[in-house]
Amino acid sequence: MATTVLPRPKAYDDTFFKPISLWLTTTDHKLIGIMYMVTGVLSFVIGGMFALIIRLQLSQPNLKIVDPETYNQLISAHGVTMIFFFVTIFLTGIANYLVPIMVGARDMAFPRVNLLGFWLIPVSIILYYSGFFTGGALNAGWTGYAPLTEKAYNNHSLGVDFWALSIIVWAISGIMASTNFLTTIVALRAPGMRFSRLPLFVWAQISTSILLLVVGAPLAAAMILLEFDRQLGTQFFTTAGRPVLYQHLFWFFGHPEVYIMILPGFGMISEIMPVFARKPIFGYMSMVAALFGIVFLSMTVWAHHMFTVGMNVYVEGFFMLMTMLIAVPTGIKFFNWIATAWWGSIEFTVPMKFVFGFLATFLIGGLTGIYLASVPVDTQLHQSYYVVAHLHYVLFGGSVFTIMAGIYYWFPKITGRMLGRKLGEWNFWTLFIGFNGTFLIMHTLGLEGMPRRIATYANEAWATTNLIITVSSFLIAFSVTLLLVNIVRSWANGEIAGNDPWRANTLEWATTSPPPPYNFERVPPVRSFMPVRDLRESGELVEDPVPA
Amino acid sequence: MTARVRALLIIVGLATLPFLLGGCGLGGLSPIFPTPVSPNGQDIYDTYLWISIPAIVIFLGVEVALLWVVLRYRRSRRPAGYVPPQVHGNTRLEVVWTAIPLVIVLGIAAYSFNTLLKDFQPINDQQMEVIISGHQFGWVYDYENGVVVDQEGTLAEQVTPFVVPTHTLIKLRFRGTDVIHSWWVPAISGKTDAVPGYENFSWLKIDQVGTWHGECAELCGAGHATMQINVQAMDQIDFDNWMSRQKAALASPSPSK
Repeated sequence: MATTVLPRPKAYDDTFFKPISLWLTTTDHKLIGIMYMVTGVLSFVIGGMFALIIRLQLSQPNLKIVDPETYNQLISAHGVTMIFFFVTIFLTGIANYLVPIMVGARDMAFPRVNLLGFWLIPVSIILYYSGFFTGGALNAGWTGYAPLTEKAYNNHSLGVDFWALSIIVWAISGIMASTNFLTTIVALRAPGMRFSRLPLFVWAQISTSILLLVVGAPLAAAMILLEFDRQLGTQFFTTAGRPVLYQHLFWFFGHPEVYIMILPGFGMISEIMPVFARKPIFGYMSMVAALFGIVFLSMTVWAHHMFTVGMNVYVEGFFMLMTMLIAVPTGIKFFNWIATAWWGSIEFTVPMKFVFGFLATFLIGGLTGIYLASVPVDTQLHQSYYVVAHLHYVLFGGSVFTIMAGIYYWFPKITGRMLGRKLGEWNFWTLFIGFNGTFLIMHTLGLEGMPRRIATYANEAWATTNLIITVSSFLIAFSVTLLLVNIVRSWANGEIAGNDPWRANTLEWATTSPPPPYNFERVPPVRSFMPVRDLRESGELVEDPVPA
Repeated sequence: MTARVRALLIIVGLATLPFLLGGCGLGGLSPIFPTPVSPNGQDIYDTYLWISIPAIVIFLGVEVALLWVVLRYRRSRRPAGYVPPQVHGNTRLEVVWTAIPLVIVLGIAAYSFNTLLKDFQPINDQQMEVIISGHQFGWVYDYENGVVVDQEGTLAEQVTPFVVPTHTLIKLRFRGTDVIHSWWVPAISGKTDAVPGYENFSWLKIDQVGTWHGECAELCGAGHATMQINVQAMDQIDFDNWMSRQKAALASPSPSK
C-alpha cells in the first residue's frame, strides 16, 4: 500500500508578507479568500461602530445625540454594512479559501473572474460610503423602501443613487462568485471525490451559490428600476406607481439572502461538530436534503415581510405555510447536529464553544421566526423591536457565531498558527453574555409597542430596558476587540499549529498550514466524506512532527 | 470554579431568565402584548399564546438536550483514548424528527389561518367608517360627515386623540398620501400599512372607555418617531356630544381644535 507522506509543516512562512503588487494581482484563491475575509472583518468593525452610536442614541428617552436624519443614515449604513459587506463577504471569503482545497482542486475554476469578483467589492463599498459626501447617505433603512427613496421625498443628496449603484455592483460580484463556486465544485473535484463524498460545507456552498444566482438578478433589477425612477422620471415605484412592487422585488432577494448568510454557517457547524465530538456527522444524506429543502422553500416565502400591506388572505396563508415549513428542514439539521454530539467524546475547544453557543441562540431565532410567520401575530410584531431581536438572533446568534467558530477553527490552517486559547475563551463568554444581554430583552420592547427605526421615544417605561441593552452592546464591542487583539497577536507569534491540529476529517488538513500555492503536491486518495480521517486510521498518513 | 460549573451556572441562568421576566411583569419587560381591547387584537393575543405552548416545549427540550450533551459527553469525563460509537444515522429517528415538527407547524399554520379568515378580510357590516390617511408626519381621520381630526405628529406632548364610540364596529380605511406609513396601536390590534395608490383596511370594536397609544411603524422620514397615535374611546353619549362640538367648530368662523 502506498503511503501518503505529507510535507513537513512549516514553522512559519512569509505568505502574508508578500509585496503589495502580489496581493493586488494574485489569482490564488487562498489570497483572494483572505482579502475577502479581511474586508469582511473591517466592515464588521465599521458596522459595529454605527450600532454603538445607534445604541447610545436609544439608551434613554428623548436623547439628541444624533439628529433624526443622521440616525436614519446610521441605521441604514449599519444594516447595509453588516448584511452586504460583512456577513456575505466574509462567508464568500472563507468559502473561497476552503472550497477548492476541500474538493482537492488546485484553484477555483475561473481564477481571474475570482479576482475581478473580489475587487468589485471594495468598489461597491466605496460607492456606498460615497453617499455620505453628497449631503447624506441612504436614509431609508437597508431595505430602502420606495417611495421614501424616490426623488420626490429624497432629493437632498445622492445617497440613494450611490447605494443603488453599490448594490448593483455587489450583485454582479455575487453572481460571478456563485458561478465560479458551482463550476469549481462540479468540474474540479479530485479523483474519488464523488458528490456523495463532498464535505457538508461544500454542499452548503452549492446551495448558497444556487440561491445567489437566482436572486441576485432581481435585486439588481429592483435597483435599476429605482434609478430609472430617480434619474429618468419613470413611475415604477413612485407614489403614482406601485410601491409594493418594489417590496416584492426586494424581498424576493431579501429573504433568500438570509439563507445565503446562514447556509455556509450551517456547513461550518457540520464540519466542526464531528471533529470535536469524534463522531461522523449524523444523517449525511438528510443534511444535504435539508439544505436543498431550505433552498427551495426560501424562494417561496418573500411576502412574509409584507403581511401588513393588505394582501388577499389566501395569498398570505400560502406565504405563512411555506415560511413555517422551513422549520422542518432546519429542525432536521438541528436534531442531526445534536445527534452527532450525542454519545460523543466532546472536546470543548474555542470553536466548539462557539458551535454550542450557535445552537443555543439560533434556536431562539428559529422559534421567534414561527411567531413572525403566523400572519395575525406578525401584524403585531412586524417592524417592531421584536423583529430586530429576531433578526439578530438568526444573523448574530446564527451567522456571526458560526463565523466565529469558523475563524477559530480554520485560523491555524490559514496562518499556520493557533489563535490564543485564553483570549478565545474570554472572547466566547463575553460575546455570549453580551449578545444575549443585548437582544433577549429586546423582544419585550417590540411586544410593548416600540417600533424599529425610530430615532427616539418619549415613553419612560422603555428607558430601563433600553439602557440595559446599550450597556450589553458595549460588552459585544469589548468582545470583538478581544477577537481582533487575538488575531493580531496570534498571527504574529501564536503557537505553531502543524498540518492538522484538530485531527480533522477533510482534505484541507492533508496539506501544510498554510497550504502551498496550488494546495497539494499530490492530492490524497478520497474514499469517503472524511478522507483525512480514513488516511489517519489506515496508517497511510504519516505526519512529520511539528518542529519545536 | 471549574469550566463545567461555570458553564452550568451560565446556562441555567439564561434558561430561567425568560421565566423571571414573565413572572415579574417588570415595566418594560413584558413577555406579551398589552391586554387587547378589540376582538381582533384578542384573537392575535390568543394565537400568540397558543403558539407559545409548542414553542416553549421545544425551547426547553432542545436547550436541555444541549445542556445534557455539554455536561454528559465531555471528553474530560471519558477514559483516555475512548472512541465513541461511530453512528452514521438512523432512518427511523430521522423520519420521526421530520414528521413531528411538520405536524406542529401545520397545526400552528391551521390555527393562524383560521384567525386570518376571521379577522383579516374586508368587513361590510360596520356601523361606522373612518378614513385614515398617513402623511409626513401625522395622521388625518376623516369621519365622512365633514368632521376631520388632524393628528399632527409630535413627541413633545400628547397628540390630538382619534375619538371613537364604544361598542361600535368601526371600519378603518387606510390611504397613503406620500410615502408608506403604518398605523399601529398595540392594545387594539396589529398594524395596517397606509400605502399610496390603493386603500388598505382594518377594523376595531372597543368595549371600554379609555385612551390607547401607538405610533407609526414604517420608517417614513426624519419625523418618523413623531408620528404618535392616540385613540380615545367614549360612551356613545359622550361621543355624540364630542361630534356635535366638532361640527359646531366647523361651522364657526374661527375654529379651534
